[in-house]
Amino acid sequence: MTEVKKVIMCAGNCLTPLGFTTEENFRAVAAGATGVRHHEGTFGLPEPFAASLFDRAAIARQAAAVIPGSDRGSNLFETLLILSIQDAVQRAGIDPASPRVAFVISSIKGNVEAIGEDESSVPVSVSAVRVASFFGNPNEPLVVSNACISGLTALIHARRMLQDGRYDHVVVAGAEVQSRFIISGFQCLKAVSPDPCKPFDAARCGLNPGEAAATMVVSAVDRVPEDAWELVDGATRNDANHISGPSRTGEGSYKTLRYVLAHCSTDELAFVNVHGTSTLYNDEMESIALQRAGLLDVPVNALKGVYGHTMGAAGILESLLSMQAVDAGVVLATRGFETLGVSYPVNVSNQNRTTGKRAFIKLLSGFGGCNAAMLFRKGGAR
Amino acid sequence: MEELIKNIKLQIIEALNLEGMTPDQIDDNAPLFGDGLGLDSIDVLELIVLIEKNYGIRLTSPAEGKKVFQSVAVMADYVAKNRKK
Amino acid sequence: MKIRKYVRILPGSVTVDGTPLAVDAAGADLLAELYRSFVKDYPKFFKMDVLCKLGVVATELLVMGEADRFTPREDRAVLLFSHSGPLCNDRNYQKTIAEDDFFPSPSLFVYTLANIVTGEIAIRNKYEGDTTAFELASFEPAPFVAAVRDAFEDRVTRSAICGWAEAVDASHFAAVMMLVDQDAAEGLDFTPENVEKIQSNQA
Repeated sequence: MTEVKKVIMCAGNCLTPLGFTTEENFRAVAAGATGVRHHEGTFGLPEPFAASLFDRAAIARQAAAVIPGSDRGSNLFETLLILSIQDAVQRAGIDPASPRVAFVISSIKGNVEAIGEDESSVPVSVSAVRVASFFGNPNEPLVVSNACISGLTALIHARRMLQDGRYDHVVVAGAEVQSRFIISGFQCLKAVSPDPCKPFDAARCGLNPGEAAATMVVSAVDRVPEDAWELVDGATRNDANHISGPSRTGEGSYKTLRYVLAHCSTDELAFVNVHGTSTLYNDEMESIALQRAGLLDVPVNALKGVYGHTMGAAGILESLLSMQAVDAGVVLATRGFETLGVSYPVNVSNQNRTTGKRAFIKLLSGFGGCNAAMLFRKGGAR
Repeated sequence: MEELIKNIKLQIIEALNLEGMTPDQIDDNAPLFGDGLGLDSIDVLELIVLIEKNYGIRLTSPAEGKKVFQSVAVMADYVAKNRKK
Repeated sequence: MKIRKYVRILPGSVTVDGTPLAVDAAGADLLAELYRSFVKDYPKFFKMDVLCKLGVVATELLVMGEADRFTPREDRAVLLFSHSGPLCNDRNYQKTIAEDDFFPSPSLFVYTLANIVTGEIAIRNKYEGDTTAFELASFEPAPFVAAVRDAFEDRVTRSAICGWAEAVDASHFAAVMMLVDQDAAEGLDFTPENVEKIQSNQA
């Protein structure tokens, strides 16, 4: 029986409309910036919406500047993944071509823009193979497409891939490109707000679609170094209730919280970085789950007012920024929140707050009734 | 009105994939949601699309939809008064 | 870890534990026939897209007759793999958002998410455990078995409905699914070799 390895965050990248590195993004968020803008007529959509979208030209310039050779990805989705992964693996100092490295890619709709034109390039599995081969990786990349919790499910799964020691590192990368397809879909579900979203607020009326890519290189270690972030444990659970409406009792989210709380006391937590999409049902459901899990006193925050809902990237992006926040002793503000509009008094604020604690929980939920939580803790000591 | 009621029933059966159901099996006054046909939140949204597509009526929120979609009779009455095509 | 039961559904044939099941219909009607014979009383079935119908009837064939069938349980995972996820639904939804005929369909859009099939299986059977939709470039038994074994690292998971489900359109689909159980004494060992045999119908 091989010893079970611990898993740590080795390096990361956040690529968003607010910046191309994790540090740039953290500075922007901490200073109160937002990428969310009002859009009318974008993607030829008849109804207006608010969203955080990339400047396509800026991405093309960045790709030309930092990706050697002509192969900069066959579409925006792949280019975002390559840019984000490249920065993360360089910082990690790992060889992505090693057979001891695996790739896990997270996205909901990948390159769905190509539907009707080049259908063979729509499946995320096709993009994943192209991206892994760009980096010369010999292993078959695994794609996780678990709706809005994809990024967190990918991290949960990557951690398990490392535990038995068969890989040294897993490159977990998520990305989402917004399009007429996705935004019209969420609009017809009456889930998109024309104004900047307001997580947990009484006047919240829907989400803002967001674009981002994010990468976390996670590594197997025997002992967690003092200055490293450990991916302690995580789980995915289903409400078994409805394919698009969250459970009225917060069933799945509560179960994931209970699962990770077996590893820590609530006093240890700097915050719970929740999903907080700003839809009526999601935020209400999360307040119920937090109450059931005994987490009403712990600060909570949501970053959707900054980035919108970045879907397949959200779990990775929001986890990386939460690590930066704990490192800086900050509980980031929940932008857009003003007046509590959920059934339970969750500990949420629209101002940055200070913290001296060294652990946090990342929570997400999504269509298909799925929910995920992961506990992150700084340093080996407990 | 009878014709409109029948058409609406056929459109509902088609849009919501109510397999094996015929217009006669839907009571004009029975509730569409809850105990009646057992429709759910996505069905409300699908009915919003249905009346926009077929009758040019735009409903902005699911809450508004639920009032209009109480029963086929209520729906037909609303359509007759508000239809644009 | 054992494969307690396995099922293979193709447009023209159905086998359960390697034994052919007598069916009359083929293609698009096959899934409806399997529904009428085995699922029977779940009208929501007809609202589902073909991938969900496939996943739900395959699961029914795996678990029918189990004790405490509809008691909520957290110890069973649903882990499905495909190459192209919901590509056929992407196509259907896309038709509803044309420039000159823009009536996006909420129900079609929902089924463009790859994991809805795992959710439908969970709802039907009251499985409150891990549900995850994976995609791989092709159905290679080795990475599939590795990923499922990794998923069993969840300390609550004791069994899983897992396998490969792919739908090209209403009459072209394939599923190779199995019930894998950590505690079972009987059954095939959950190995790439045995999965390969099940896939090629030689188990």
